[in-house]
Formats: sequence, C-alpha cells, structure tokens
Amino acid sequence: MYAITTAGLTKHYGRGPLPVPLPFLAVSAPRVRALDSLDIAVRAGEIFGFLGPNGAGKSTTIRLLLGYLHPTAGAGSILGLDIVRDSVAIRRRIGYLPGGIALYDSLTGEQLLSYLADLSGRPPVRRADLCERLELSATTLRRLVRDYSRGMRQKIGIVQALQHDPELAILDEPTEGLDPLMQRAFYQILDTLKAEGRTIFFSSHVLSEVERVCDRVAIIRRGRLVAMEDIAGLLARHKRNVNMRLSGPPPRLDGVAGVSGIETSDGRLSCRVEGDIRPFLAAIVGAPIADLTIEPAHLEEAFLEFYEDAAS
Amino acid sequence: MNGALFRQTWRFQGVKLAVVSSALAVWGMFLPIIYARFGSQFRAVLESGLFPEQFARFGGGDIFSLPGSLALSFIHPIAIILTAVFSVGFSAGAIAGERQRGTLEVALARPISRRGFYLTLFAAAFGFVAVTVASLMAGGIAGSLFAGVIGEIAVRNLPLLWLNGVLLFGSFTAVGLAASASFDRLPPALGLTIGIVVVMYFFDVLGSLWPAAEVLQPYSLFHYLKPKAILVGDGSLLDPAVLAAVIVAATAWALVVFPRRDLAAPS
Repeated sequence: MYAITTAGLTKHYGRGPLPVPLPFLAVSAPRVRALDSLDIAVRAGEIFGFLGPNGAGKSTTIRLLLGYLHPTAGAGSILGLDIVRDSVAIRRRIGYLPGGIALYDSLTGEQLLSYLADLSGRPPVRRADLCERLELSATTLRRLVRDYSRGMRQKIGIVQALQHDPELAILDEPTEGLDPLMQRAFYQILDTLKAEGRTIFFSSHVLSEVERVCDRVAIIRRGRLVAMEDIAGLLARHKRNVNMRLSGPPPRLDGVAGVSGIETSDGRLSCRVEGDIRPFLAAIVGAPIADLTIEPAHLEEAFLEFYEDAAS
Repeated sequence: MNGALFRQTWRFQGVKLAVVSSALAVWGMFLPIIYARFGSQFRAVLESGLFPEQFARFGGGDIFSLPGSLALSFIHPIAIILTAVFSVGFSAGAIAGERQRGTLEVALARPISRRGFYLTLFAAAFGFVAVTVASLMAGGIAGSLFAGVIGEIAVRNLPLLWLNGVLLFGSFTAVGLAASASFDRLPPALGLTIGIVVVMYFFDVLGSLWPAAEVLQPYSLFHYLKPKAILVGDGSLLDPAVLAAVIVAATAWALVVFPRRDLAAPS
C-alpha cells in the first residue's frame, strides 16, 4: 500500500523556442525543466525524506502533489486519489507545512490555528498535545502572530499541519528555525506519528535529521530522481574511511573486496572500505596495528557522492 | 462557498467595514440637508448665469432637488473613494494580496477548490458592497428625514436604487477580483482595477459636463447607474442588466483562469 506514487511526473515552464523562427520575435520564453519524469513511491506508514539542493525540484514536486501546479506530463496519486482530479479530496486527508511559511499576522496564534482547523473541516484533536510538546503555552498562543519569532512561527506551522491528525503529512523543511531542543521534540512527534501509522513525507537540506528520522530517502537533482532507497542500504553502500597506525609492515590490502584508495606513509595506512566490511577485517587479522579508526558512513557523504556521480 | 473562509473574511474586514459604512452614512446624510437648507439659493446663483449650466448636472446629480442631491451623493468622488475601499481595494487584494504575502499557500492547503475559494471571496465582497451602498442610502434617508424633505421621493424606488448601486460597485468588485485572480502580486491587480475605475469615471463626468464627450459615456459603467432617474420613477432595467452582464463576464473569466493557473512558490 502506497501513500504517494508518481509515474513520469513532469513539469516544464515556458513555451520554449517557437516551432517556426520569427525574425521579429527574437526572444521566446526559455523552456525550464523543473521536474523530469519523476517516479517515486512512498509506502504508507513510513517517514520518507526528499533530498536535494536548492532548485533541484523538491518544492515543485510537492506543489504538483498538492495541486498548486499542473503537471506537464505524467501522473501521481496520494492515498489512492489522483493528484489532478481529486485534489480537494486529497487535501481533506493530509497536512501540509510549506517551506518558509507565511501566516496571518493580524491573528493571535490561537485564532490562526482555529481558523485553519475550521478551513480543514476536521477537529484539531492533536493541537493540545502538539502545543505542549513544542512548548507553545496558552499565553504565547494569545499573542499576535506578527510578534512571533521565526522559530515560533515554524512551531505554529508544524501545529497547523498536524493538528487535525492527517493520514499523511507533507512537510517542507520542517525544522527550519527550530532550536536543537525543539528539533528533538519535533523528531519525537514524528516518532509518535509513525508509531500510529501515519505517513510523513518531508523535504530537507539537513542530512543528519533525515538520517535520524527517515526510513527511506529519494535524492533529486536538476529535476531528476538520482536515487531512492532505504537509509540503511544507502549507508551500507557508502565507503567508510579507515585509518590505522602500524608498528610493523602494513597488511596486504590490494585486491581485497571493497577496499580502495590505499595510502601508506610514516607507519600509517589509510583506505576506504565500501559495502561488506568482513573481507577487510579478515585481511588485517595479525597485522601489527597500534591504533585503528573506522569512521562511520554519514548520509552527507553518501549524498555528496551521489551528486558527484550524477555530475560526472 | 466555504463558511469558515467567509466568516473569517468578514471578521478581518469588520472594523474597516464599520468605519467606511459610517463615513458613507454621514456623507449620505449631508447632501439632503444641504439641499433643504441652501438648495434654492444655489439654484438662484446658477440661474444668474455666473456658472455654466453643465455644472448643475455633475454626473447626473444636483443640489436643487432631493433626488438630485441623493444622486450626487452616489457619484461624488467622496462616495466613489469610500466605496472603492472594498470594490477596488479589497477585491484587487483578495487573492493577489494573499499570494504576495504567501498566505494563499496555507489556505489552499485546505480542502477548498480554487473556484470555491474565489466564489467565497466574491460573496464576501458583494456583501461588503451591499452594506456600504445601504449605509450611503440610509444616511440619505436619515438626512432627508432630519431636513423634513423625505416626502419629495417615492420610497418604493429605493430598493431599485440600492440594487443598481450594488451592481455598479459590484461590477468593479468583480473586475477587481478577476484581476486579483490573474496576477501573482498586488500592484498589477490594484493598478489595473484603479485604472479602469478612474478612466470610466472620467468618461462619465466629462460626458456630463461637455456635450461633445457624451459619446464616451456608454463606455463607462458609471453611466449605468442613474440615481435621479430611478428616484423619480424613470429607471431603466437595461442599466442593471448591463452591470450584471459585466459581473457575469468578469466572474466567468476568473473562474476559468484561476483554477488553471500554476501557483509557483512565493518568492
């Protein structure tokens, strides 16, 4: 069962060059490929990270899913409903936090949340719990939104997206502006939602948080899907950095499966190990190792590696 | 139609509506009193030949009769500016303003279609126009009662005047909302709507003051509100029909264009 699927979802802007060049019309709007044939599938009940640098197509994808943009080609569905035909029905069942959310400044936090809950047509059953976890007191909620700091606005944004207990939450850069304590509170909220079977789709630049909370990730670059897989699988395939200090001759690592970039100098050896680590461990058994450091794989490096590969 | 959006729109505009309605009521009250107190003196001045006769027909109103003074209260720049707070300001900003501020994102993330969103704002805006025109007329009636001249008009003609007034300012509202639904930023929507109102007002006033320019008047929507004629029982049903047609055309445009537009992320 999938919460979100897209098949060949494409968005191009502009009309591109004219089919017949007209000398008196020298300039035509350039055709921009914001998203090119995106195929993703988000399973129900998982936390799915959507990664990519600025301009990669993350927001375009979210806006297509929510009906703000119309696809140039391809199709998509959310909770089994077509993103073009059933957009209103979809929005009845989801929660959305836009990136850099703008709020109605002339309302108090409480009035704003009540208004948005009314517009949702569903009771705000999670509001009290969310406000408590995000430390939004009754006094704070009685203040005008225009007096809120950026972090407070983001907290209100999170509450408005989740207060009506949606089946699927689409969150664009949700921890932007939150301090580390509030980020942790937010991750705990995600854990709770996941435990209750809710699906979370969120885009982020913060790789450590994606690594911390997501089950799977999709990586997008220049409007194209570069990778989509489990976090664990992504990290397992990533090369670990190994450094060892030796008290004798270095072990023979040439030809050992997964080992690359071997460098030795002044009683030190460094290399990189990819995938299954056991062949490497077997090769260094008995070696005169005085000290050994194996740096764990981080999503950030895996992410950058993807970009380097895609760029080349 | 979305009830929550409708109620909130009224709440947002409540204070402004109260202020504008009060100002219009005071303005509406003012001219019948002027007419009752000084009307005959103004007529004598005009008949002395000091001023051209056209000055007594500014936009179809005058201060020598109660219907004329009530008509003047409708088409005087003060009334136009006050009603424009909603028929131009609110309508042009209703969608383009929210889009520019980024709040449209949050509202449209709810289960409300773009057509539903537009029609809700349309209904709210027409409500504002209906209240402001009613306030202007209520002021006129109060002023006439106060001055003891209410007997000079037939009260049965007032509903048609109200309807025609609502349709005139409602047509500007519909144009403003259509512009608002067509642009991503407030300035072009507001500029276009103000431009249309100002040009049409100029056409109508110029035509009323200068016979050679009368040919321009049918191109102005102001031409299709003739308060004095309505109050003396000579109102034409063609006038509200023309204004209603403009409202229908502008609304049809918005209902086609707005749902089809791509709403890119606000910058």
